[in-house]
Amino acid sequence: MAEKQLVYLYCVTEEEPNLREVGCLADNLHSVHHKGLYGVAGDVEDSEFGEESLKRNLVDLQWVGAKATAHEKVIEGIMEDTCVIPFKFGTLFNTNDGLKAMLEVYGDEFKTILAELKNKQEWGVKIYCDIQRLKSGIADRQPEILEVENEIKSSSVGKAYFLKKKKAELIEQAVNGKINQYGRESFTLLKDLSSAARINRLLPKEVTEREDDMILNSAFLVGNDSVHDFVSLANSLKTQYEDVGFSVDCTGPWPPYNFCGLPKARGRNG
Amino acid sequence: MDNIGLKSGDVTLVEILDRVLDKGVIIAGDIVISVADVDLIYLGLKVLLSSVETMEHLRGAPFPSPMQEAT
Repeated sequence: MAEKQLVYLYCVTEEEPNLREVGCLADNLHSVHHKGLYGVAGDVEDSEFGEESLKRNLVDLQWVGAKATAHEKVIEGIMEDTCVIPFKFGTLFNTNDGLKAMLEVYGDEFKTILAELKNKQEWGVKIYCDIQRLKSGIADRQPEILEVENEIKSSSVGKAYFLKKKKAELIEQAVNGKINQYGRESFTLLKDLSSAARINRLLPKEVTEREDDMILNSAFLVGNDSVHDFVSLANSLKTQYEDVGFSVDCTGPWPPYNFCGLPKARGRNG
Repeated sequence: MDNIGLKSGDVTLVEILDRVLDKGVIIAGDIVISVADVDLIYLGLKVLLSSVETMEHLRGAPFPSPMQEAT
């Protein structure tokens, strides 16, 4: 008996997508045309992506990594030629007809979103902070902290104990202040060059596998004409504060994952 | 300047997972699956959610977001 197949949706376009370049990345990559929209989809095995199998596979980082990368590559390939609405990992249908029915329900909204995304690119900016480095820089420079430091030297043991606590608090406050200030300023400057901007949740070190802490995870929708300025600004933010411990990572262009609306829609089933 | 403006073909897996698993249009297809619960994946990465809270705390008040966070 043949293995049951499911239809995995990658993205939706308004122009006919060019599948030639990315065809090798997915099994039977095809487009489903309905009411002026194309759904770009591939076939996947029910034994891999069916509900029970998926639950099992989602805790396997090797599997998730390979499949998520393929998902991204297919959409990037399509995006080279035309505007896309990227779908979240694991949007599945039993048949192409199921996909058509979804396009029927959401078609008008997709067309509105695609019109808004035209001639724009998503860019991502993550800022990290080496907190120890920032801390040592602050402790050496802030007059208020230096004053307490001096006081500690000429104090009794008991008084010095409390002054040290005070000093630690002052440093903590100054560090938080700097992080907020730098994150806020950077975000505002980048946002001013963008059509839209989002702040996403911070990823912990266990995920980033970096020594420093993420202090800003943001995404921007940037007009094609502004991309050059946007990247230049990110570059200058990167050099401006790297000495005190901040690190700016700017990546793009990405499929507009953060700017394709319908975030709460749950489809006909929901 | 070496790390800036990379094509996404060269970015880390974390950058890809941060988008592909967490963002994009969410619609229940014929099959309602549990991918919506992205924390499942983070648990797979042995991530403690408490460390996120720690960072939020350390960072102080969140930045004013111009739009609500995409979910």
